[in-house]
Amino acid sequence: MIDLNALRTQAADILETGEVGAVIGWRRGSRGMAAEPVAIVAPEEAASLVWDPTCFHNLALYLVEERKKPAQRQVHGGKPIAIVAKGCDARAVTVLLQENHFGRDDVYVIGVSCEGTGVLDERKLAQVLPGVEPDGAAFDGDNFVFATSEGERRVPAREAMMDRCLECRNAHPKLNNVVFGEETPRDFDAPFAALKRFEQRPAAERWQFWQRQFERCIRCFACRSVCPMCYCDECVVDSINLVVTPETTAAEKADRVRWIERSASRADNIGYHMTRALHLAGRCVDCGECERVCPVNIPLRLLNNKMEREAREAFGYEPGASIDLPALVASFRDDDPGQFIR
Amino acid sequence: MEALLDKNRLKDWIAALDGWEAYAPARQDGIWSYQPAGDNPELNHPNTPQPPKGFAFPQREIFFKFEQVKGEAPRLTAVSPAPTFRVVFGVRPCDGRAVPRMDRVFSDHVDDGYYQARRDGLAYVGLACNTPPSRHCFCQSVGGSPVSTDGLDVLLTDLGERYFVAAVTDTGKALMQAAGALLAKPGAAERKEVARLHAAAVAQPQRGVNDAAAAPAKLKAGFDSPLWEELARACIGCGICTFLCPTCHCFDINDEVTGTVPLKGSRVRTWDSCQFPDFTMHSSGHNPRDTLGSRLRQRVSHKFRYFHENFGMHQCTGCGRCVSECPVGIDIVRVVNEIAGSV
Repeated sequence: MIDLNALRTQAADILETGEVGAVIGWRRGSRGMAAEPVAIVAPEEAASLVWDPTCFHNLALYLVEERKKPAQRQVHGGKPIAIVAKGCDARAVTVLLQENHFGRDDVYVIGVSCEGTGVLDERKLAQVLPGVEPDGAAFDGDNFVFATSEGERRVPAREAMMDRCLECRNAHPKLNNVVFGEETPRDFDAPFAALKRFEQRPAAERWQFWQRQFERCIRCFACRSVCPMCYCDECVVDSINLVVTPETTAAEKADRVRWIERSASRADNIGYHMTRALHLAGRCVDCGECERVCPVNIPLRLLNNKMEREAREAFGYEPGASIDLPALVASFRDDDPGQFIR
Repeated sequence: MEALLDKNRLKDWIAALDGWEAYAPARQDGIWSYQPAGDNPELNHPNTPQPPKGFAFPQREIFFKFEQVKGEAPRLTAVSPAPTFRVVFGVRPCDGRAVPRMDRVFSDHVDDGYYQARRDGLAYVGLACNTPPSRHCFCQSVGGSPVSTDGLDVLLTDLGERYFVAAVTDTGKALMQAAGALLAKPGAAERKEVARLHAAAVAQPQRGVNDAAAAPAKLKAGFDSPLWEELARACIGCGICTFLCPTCHCFDINDEVTGTVPLKGSRVRTWDSCQFPDFTMHSSGHNPRDTLGSRLRQRVSHKFRYFHENFGMHQCTGCGRCVSECPVGIDIVRVVNEIAGSV
């Protein structure tokens, strides 16, 4: 069980001593009971930090350059940034370190262990407690406890946590400067369990399934926007898919290749999601945020898990496992399998 | 025109709507959306994550097709939506109130033929919200109501085993007349029950914008407030809030080329979002709205200031989707209240 006061004290201390310039964490939001991301800069703000089952966001995305780093831009001041990170979030920070977004000394990881549970899946909760919209959520051992107008409701975490948490690769953040919570044995699903089940379905049925999923995509790009690994300045799907500066010539602008049309047609949607999945191979840490935020419920983890497992099987590579390893796509070993380039 | 309909006869009413395609919310792949009405539609949905705006304003609209053989003049082929009669069941009053707003946008300066062609054959059968579909609803603070008939052709009220069916427009009357003997005459007791349910619905507590009437002036005064950046700090710049909004209507127009010899393709309109960085990017690369705060300000000011300045009404209908679906909890109610409270 995490002592929230200890976490707050830690955050206040490192701000007080100037060890960090800001702490990115969660605070109570105004959207129902859900926590919301926040960057605090003053020690006294640490009292607003929270840790509960609605801390589903992967805050690592706010460490990334440009559009995702307003917090950093505002408060950096040359000092390291601290980030409160779950196991999956810490793996994302690891990948960003491998990809040289910042140095190890630029980030201070306040690890939080999900211990024997995970974070809440609000869609599952709506099924488990239909019609109930709780005012608050808390961890309690193997359960989530919800505050409602009719008193406390206790739900086994297994029934209402994210699928990604059921298959968690490591609920205890390995990369950390300080860590709260225990490394607890977990007894949920093995990684890739859902993928394995899905792959048992005949190919034709799977294709039909995916066609239906991609038909639904509205190209809001929330999956891309929320992903810490999707940080390219130029994205294949954008209408302006090149970085335009005053020096860019008219010909360069006119000649840009439009790989994927703006239309949310099934074919273009498939192009988008396949491109994204391939670009995440060996990088996706299965934080599952893309799947959580999708407003039309496309099971994006199945795609990313597939690529993750390919990388694992072909190269024995586990994304986010260690900052001492090079990034998968930036490394070569003599014993790498090479069947595909014969 | 008012009547009663047994809930299990809803399917028969739909079957009796000769010449109409019927749609109703259905849950597929874990998500509610408007689908062709199946064998036995039940209107027991919360609000759908996607509003019904796509019926009149689809995400992709082909304007015309083009083809050009080298050295010859281009040949254009007009494309216009085929005339259809479509009736959408189960529309919540907030989404109903979006309809006249969209109608204004697409008919005010320019009569948008594509929108009109789809809109002309479109009817909405609403469902009163006896209980709020979500805690994020705030229709009442923006001039709406859980039992509003604005924009609807018919309003259904759930009486348990039956619906109380009330026509709002002539189209609604025609839809009801098609039901013939399926509809029963309501008595005083049923009318009283509807009045009671509606009064109870309106009395349910709801969160909301503090003073919507003052919002346009307050947002104008707060245009340069540093709060915008502050409130947008967690924003990830996705398009959820705008694409799921029942009244957001910004679009982009592109030529989609499908062949080069001869050159051919289509000119298409697609939804666009003021939350995307490239929405306002100039061809020079300069972007007048290059921060998250300036883009949040645009979205909120359009809903609560610019639209009001143009049309005398707020664009936001309080459906709450941009709040409930935002990946990081950005809350338009809080934004309006905080900006208004700061000036």
